[in-house]
Amino acid sequence: MPARPRGTDGSLLPSLPWTLAALGFAIAPHLAYLPPWITAAVVGCAAWRYAIEKRRRALPTGWFRGLLALACFLGVLGTYATISGVGPGSALLAIMAALKLLETRRRRDQFVLLFISIFLVMSSLLREQYIWSLPYLVVAVMLIMTAWLRMSALRTESPRDSLTAGARLIGYAAPIAIVMWIFFPRIATPFWAVPIDTSRATSGLSETMSPGDISSLSLSNEVAFRVSFDAALPAPRDRYWRGLVLTRFNGRTWTGNDPFMGPRAHEQVVPIGDPVTYEITLEPTRQIWVFALDMPWTWTLPRTFMGPQQQLARSQPIDQRVAYRAESYPRYRTDVELRRYARDWYISLPPESNPRTLALAREMLEVAESSSAYIEAVLAKFNAEEFFYTLEPPALGSDPVDRFLFETRRGFCEHYASAFAVLMRAVGIPARIVLGYQGGEVNPLGGHLIVRQADAHAWTEVWLPERGWIRVDPTAAVAPERIDSGLSGAMFDGVAAAWGLSAPSQWLHQMTLTWDLINARWNDWILGYGPDMQRGFMEWLGMDDPDWQKMMLTLIAGVGVLITLVSGLLLWRYRAPRKDRAAALYQRFVKKSGVVPTVGEPPLAFAQRASRASALPPDTIDRITRLYLETRYGSAHGDAMARFSAAVRALHFAGGKKAA
Amino acid sequence: MSSIPWPFPNPAALRRYVQGAVTRRARRWAKNRQGQDSSVTVLSPGRVYILPTGVGIVFALMIFAMLLGSMNYNNNLSFVLTFLLIALGLVSMHQCQRNLVGLELSFAGAEPVFAGQAAEFRIAITNLSRSRRSGLCVYTDAAVSETGDLKRGESRIFVLPVVTEERGIVRLERFGIRTLFPFELFRAWAWLHMDLESIVYPRPADVAPPPPASQTSHGHRQHDARGEEDFAGLRKFHSGDSPRHVAWKAYARSGQLLSKQFAGADISSQWFEFDAVPADDPEDRLCILTRWIVEADRTGEDYGLRLPGLEFPPGHGDDQRHRCLEALALFGDADMRSAHGEGSDGAG
Repeated sequence: MPARPRGTDGSLLPSLPWTLAALGFAIAPHLAYLPPWITAAVVGCAAWRYAIEKRRRALPTGWFRGLLALACFLGVLGTYATISGVGPGSALLAIMAALKLLETRRRRDQFVLLFISIFLVMSSLLREQYIWSLPYLVVAVMLIMTAWLRMSALRTESPRDSLTAGARLIGYAAPIAIVMWIFFPRIATPFWAVPIDTSRATSGLSETMSPGDISSLSLSNEVAFRVSFDAALPAPRDRYWRGLVLTRFNGRTWTGNDPFMGPRAHEQVVPIGDPVTYEITLEPTRQIWVFALDMPWTWTLPRTFMGPQQQLARSQPIDQRVAYRAESYPRYRTDVELRRYARDWYISLPPESNPRTLALAREMLEVAESSSAYIEAVLAKFNAEEFFYTLEPPALGSDPVDRFLFETRRGFCEHYASAFAVLMRAVGIPARIVLGYQGGEVNPLGGHLIVRQADAHAWTEVWLPERGWIRVDPTAAVAPERIDSGLSGAMFDGVAAAWGLSAPSQWLHQMTLTWDLINARWNDWILGYGPDMQRGFMEWLGMDDPDWQKMMLTLIAGVGVLITLVSGLLLWRYRAPRKDRAAALYQRFVKKSGVVPTVGEPPLAFAQRASRASALPPDTIDRITRLYLETRYGSAHGDAMARFSAAVRALHFAGGKKAA
Repeated sequence: MSSIPWPFPNPAALRRYVQGAVTRRARRWAKNRQGQDSSVTVLSPGRVYILPTGVGIVFALMIFAMLLGSMNYNNNLSFVLTFLLIALGLVSMHQCQRNLVGLELSFAGAEPVFAGQAAEFRIAITNLSRSRRSGLCVYTDAAVSETGDLKRGESRIFVLPVVTEERGIVRLERFGIRTLFPFELFRAWAWLHMDLESIVYPRPADVAPPPPASQTSHGHRQHDARGEEDFAGLRKFHSGDSPRHVAWKAYARSGQLLSKQFAGADISSQWFEFDAVPADDPEDRLCILTRWIVEADRTGEDYGLRLPGLEFPPGHGDDQRHRCLEALALFGDADMRSAHGEGSDGAG
């Protein structure tokens, strides 16, 4: 095989900047996730390639590119330890684009770059779907298509022309795309397992709890989930969103059940009173936990099961936004029986750790006579003594519960829940920690509840004979306002005060709520347009009993109609300029004469030639030609036109008679 | 090893054969339904054909993969992207076809060439519409014109080179016009059967004996004996030209050294006779005659041509040159000669 020439001649200069711009725009959303060396490689290759073209240098040799490709592939493999998934996939795409640049010699080589750009845009959409992702993708397609047009455009065509042509075609395509988007049947079950992008940092709940290890709780304002209630909202103190349950304590860290150890028998829940029904839109957490108002009774999320401690979990991590309906009983009673094995499990403590706490518990139990009195006493102690609720507690060393209870006395929910549970277990009262969210902010514009990551909370459940598991929130004893007004409300005030603002904070708050409402609608109507919603929408449109065949037929019909419209629009764009009557009549005369005019032949020259070659009498040809020239160049009165018209008509009439 | 007989035909050859057969059939079919075109033809929608290109097929495969991905992830935004690209593909198909429909094609003549040179058929394309047409080119099996755009109302000539081998008439039974605009996803084309033809002069002989001296009719005056009475024009300075004849004014203007030419009544004229050419093969004779005519024309001498049964009196100039060379081109082809003889008489 002959070696391809490597030299460049600057023929790519009109199109290369556009291709690079399209590629850059497609890579931009990935930059936050790509390792820096890949970004550097892409930028470096792009700059290098442009310089090569600008200075008419030669492209790097084949073996150099091969080595570079191998090195980059190994680099990706080394960075991610895998090549499947959205993260390594987009890294590979970016690297491929960078290397392809180095062998792009002809205009048409750039097709590959544009295809890669499209895939990069697609994979960025798989990763995140914000509101701005929609304008982003439209602009990206516009850039890619303009680069595409630049590639085959002539050198004389200005970039502006290409941009206009691209925008016009996208304008034609948009309605067709919308119809396809609405009617294309959505399916509920994926074809293959979705690879999970584990590289992404999440701000979901931690699955273990070690109060004292972290000295500051990050207050992320990111939305954890949004809830729309069918009827009235439950009172703030009932808004406990149950997540996972921690049952084991090693002196420092609380962890969940081991799948093969611990109580697995399900506890019977007995509902009391009326249920609350609502719909939750849960943001992706990359965890299996599914949140619901305490105590969940029914839920619609598929493949979701209730654990032995009434925690909801899906068999697959939640790596996309999901929406589900659920029904909960804020008031309930659990099974009063606790088996011996389970009871032992829920009171076990490591014997050597936190000795002062154990001693304190025994003292307090002697004073209080019953278990419930003891619980009251512990809560009263938290309330009355010098305990403070703070988000930036000091770090605790070994025996963290001892240090917390006797020395620092400053902490947030985790510290109180942990200390309380240890105090309970120390005297043989079964206790466990529940992690979830508490509270939430009502968005008055949309009427829904926003629960943010900052609303994450830990509380305890204790088991009492005759009453079963009951929820006890020790934080409420220390900082009741945390429970009643929620964290976010209080935080906004704090921020405003810190900045010395009062009125603008209201305005800011309003803006935040509006933005949240837009986001909620975006999630519900655009991102959440799934099989159920589509079915509902089809029924609303008047399609009875919608199924995929009907939707597909509607799609084809709709696209057909729109394509016909586009075709008509193009026909109209390419319509002939206004017919000028004299020219049309002259054309008729020319046709009648039977002589074919040569290109650009003036009428007089044609008349001269035609009077010899045509069957028409020479004086007629001469007269008609003179009349035509008179309508063209003569004085502007209607007489010449009328006579010209009459002459051509007479010609036609005479010809017709002759034919008959 | 390579000589082991293989029971199946060579796949490349098979593909070529199938492709050729399909193309031939398609062309015959198109010719039958379109009929012969007049020399001015406006493309109607029914005769513009369209098929996806290789890029278009790759694009379609990519979109199909994207559609599967979107369905799998149930990702509504990547559905938006996928459908937008599908819609763009559909729109570009219509745009591609409309880019050709309504164009007016006409034959704008072809300059005669010598055998071995490429005959350049000039096709005038007129954009009779209100919008720009992009990326047009005309083509034959062997050649492609350069690609051009047409603004609204614009007319442009696209040159189609056709390789010639022999003197006579070169025909262009069929040519096509095609476009890949906008995205090269589709190729729209139309075939035209205008039956165009052009004259091919014989190839001038590489080496030719000088014209027989006896054939010069006005004595033995060569071009150094050119008259000095009437100024006839300027030509490039050759070494040996008299400095008196150098056009110094023109030199001052353009910096180019030119010699004045004078035409006198005593300019030499000569007869080139077919029967007197010192060669045996008639084709060789024609080549040599061509060479003589070309040389004589270059020096501006008068010359006449005598072929069996045909005579052109001495003269010079483009008309004379064309008439003589055309006669040589069509020599021996009785039908052609009479047809063209009449045509050129009529025109002249």
